[in-house]
Amino acid sequence: MSLTTVRGLKSEIYVPITPSPVWSSLDKPLSECTVAFCTAGGVHLKSQKRFILSGDYSFREIPSDTPASELMVSHGGFDNSDVNKDINSMFPIDRLHELEREGFIGKVAPVLFGFMGGGGNVNKFKEETGPAIAQILKREGVDIAVFTGGCGTCHRSATIVQRAVEAVGISTIIIAALPPIAKQQGAPRITAPHVPIGSNAGEPNNIAMQTAILKDTLVQVEEMTTFGQMKTLPYEYRQNV
Amino acid sequence: MSITFETAKQHQNDPAVLCCLRTKGTVISASDLEDPSIFPDLEESGLLTFPEHALTIGQVLGATLEQDADSMTPLTPELVSHFLENPKNESESQKITTSTFTDEDPTRETQVIRFNIDKLVGQIELPTGLNVNALPFATAPSKKAEDKVIRTLTQRAYPVEQVCVGEETTFKDKVLTIREALCKESLKADPLVKNVELDIIRPEDRHVYSNTIMDVIPIGTKVEGILGEGITNVMNGVVVVLTGVDEKGIQVHEFGSCEGYLDEKIRFGRPGSPDLEDIMIRVNVTVQENTGMERRGPYAAHKACDYIIQEIRDVLKEVSADASADQKIFRDWKKSGKPRVILVKEIMGQGAMHDNVLLPNEPAGVIGGRRNVDLGNVPVVLSPNEVRDGGIHALTCIGPATKEVTRHYFREPLVNLMAEDDEIDLAGVVFIGSPQVNDEKSYVSARLGALAEALDVEGAIVTTEGFGNNHIDFAENIEQIGRRGIHVVGVSFCAYQGQLVVGNKYMDAMVELNKDPEGFENEILADSTICPSDAERALVMLKTKMAGIPIESANRKWSQEVIDANEQLIP
Repeated sequence: MSLTTVRGLKSEIYVPITPSPVWSSLDKPLSECTVAFCTAGGVHLKSQKRFILSGDYSFREIPSDTPASELMVSHGGFDNSDVNKDINSMFPIDRLHELEREGFIGKVAPVLFGFMGGGGNVNKFKEETGPAIAQILKREGVDIAVFTGGCGTCHRSATIVQRAVEAVGISTIIIAALPPIAKQQGAPRITAPHVPIGSNAGEPNNIAMQTAILKDTLVQVEEMTTFGQMKTLPYEYRQNV
Repeated sequence: MSITFETAKQHQNDPAVLCCLRTKGTVISASDLEDPSIFPDLEESGLLTFPEHALTIGQVLGATLEQDADSMTPLTPELVSHFLENPKNESESQKITTSTFTDEDPTRETQVIRFNIDKLVGQIELPTGLNVNALPFATAPSKKAEDKVIRTLTQRAYPVEQVCVGEETTFKDKVLTIREALCKESLKADPLVKNVELDIIRPEDRHVYSNTIMDVIPIGTKVEGILGEGITNVMNGVVVVLTGVDEKGIQVHEFGSCEGYLDEKIRFGRPGSPDLEDIMIRVNVTVQENTGMERRGPYAAHKACDYIIQEIRDVLKEVSADASADQKIFRDWKKSGKPRVILVKEIMGQGAMHDNVLLPNEPAGVIGGRRNVDLGNVPVVLSPNEVRDGGIHALTCIGPATKEVTRHYFREPLVNLMAEDDEIDLAGVVFIGSPQVNDEKSYVSARLGALAEALDVEGAIVTTEGFGNNHIDFAENIEQIGRRGIHVVGVSFCAYQGQLVVGNKYMDAMVELNKDPEGFENEILADSTICPSDAERALVMLKTKMAGIPIESANRKWSQEVIDANEQLIP
């Protein structure tokens, strides 16, 4: 075998490893907890400014009494068909209120968050967006924050923000369609239903599935005891694109 | 976290750091040590600093701790006794070659001398005069193995110097005329298409505002044979640029945008972009509102555009061979005695605008092809000639700077380089989709591994367009090939914005595609796609790896200097 070879070549791309643990344990029952929801799936009020699709590290505060019909998505990282049908498939705001009425959780936090995680600037999310969202949630007395990403890059952004929120003493969990990214990026807790990116919180208009995913996820916040745990959830939905 | 003995062996030259509190008298083993692969993170966060005289893992295994020490303490001569000053290098000690006689009675008359060889590196020299045919292994082949041509493709080039719109579609004397009514007719291609406009942009008039560029499509047509063989007529000096919005004016299939002035938003001369001297035929499609981010909307726009191109193809078919200015011959080879390799091209397959048409009837066409999402994103093998004859029509729109448009595949530098290289045998070009669902990602990657194994290749180059969730597939595709003992090189845009989020030990020879000074997806069409220089680095890296010559590990952060230095080493 005669091959033209070169000595001294160097690999040009760094291959990463998981970041260090961050952990806040939950010290009260779910029925007494204030629960917030944050998504990197580009959800915002129709009256708010659209996200810049090529990369935007700003975030939108969503008052939790907003009707689902007032919400929309601006995000190019995943097929929008499902969120266009039902915003709850990414941002299950209606399910949260139902869980509050049922007494499954204490209450829904007054403010929820949407940001556009795709194409994001890692440092900005780490140093600005994450800590800013964490401070507001802390101020509002939030006990648990549940996250969804959208595409791969927004799983990364979601996890960066999740870690910032966990770091201020709030227990967090991400419902991940791409669990390896959440794991690699150091998500404290992960649930993984079998869902495609774009409907990370369950099939659109399937209230039973969305409720089950959200409930199981919240139960995991109570049950998981160490950093980086992941639980696969037995719900499956395949998007018909 | 403690490490295993195997990990300790791999990292024997890395510093030894205690993973947990250990008391005086402890005899150090792997389970007392921290994983060196997380040292950079620990150092970065200030949790760990190394003294100059820190001992290596190879030195401390079996040594005794002389005082209590906390976790994250680097071990030094002051802290331990009985460490090795110069530990034996594991890999050197393995080079010893042994041979033993077999149990057979040596006095028996057997006409042969037989002994077992456990491991042999290098050559055996035997005196001449032996009967060569009696040797139990092959000597130099008596007959030179011959390379075979499997198929031949002839591309006839027809220069175009002027394009205009008129009564009838014609191509005469280097002037292409496109029938005006064609735009309206093209609405028939799909009910979601609401309007189609076409204009001609000459090289000198490029400061023209444009919607985001969905694709750049060469104009070619089959005259004889099927895709990959026979004769194809191609127009030179002209290219179709597809743009689009929905009825509300929202840009179609954007994830990152190159909406703006064409002269500013295109990196001219990339394999996928228009060349500096090209005339652009801009086809601007309006699709039904809210379908621009769904799978059907962009596909409808591509179909309408293809309808227009087909009428141009039909006149191009009729042009006489004599009128062609240039003729290129492409061959698919079966090269004997050369290491077999494959090129794996990961393409988007997450639905929406993340899709591609494989093997259309016409070069770079739409009709007759199958979309990789419909095929379940499983690996599909094309011959190099099929790729170079327009076997891929890209519906994809990821970031404009990193997406591979249809013209990119038509002029893919890695396909050309690997197909023409005399030292390797390119067995095929494998297209594998990046699915939307995580489980499916593992499924298709595993099939890729099985395919590489069945093809019995020695090496592979894996490329991906874009960045983000497709990097999961990228990592897994490389792993599935690498774990089978096949040498792999990975090629992707990562730089700053696209930093890898998952990785594995087989990703040790990587080529960076970034061309943006800040390392961002910069919204200039095709800027950070594979160029000939990237292809050359990737192929030399693969050959070097196959020859067993080490590739140095990557720096922790992206830096252009590394790429420049590699570039300088290319023969």
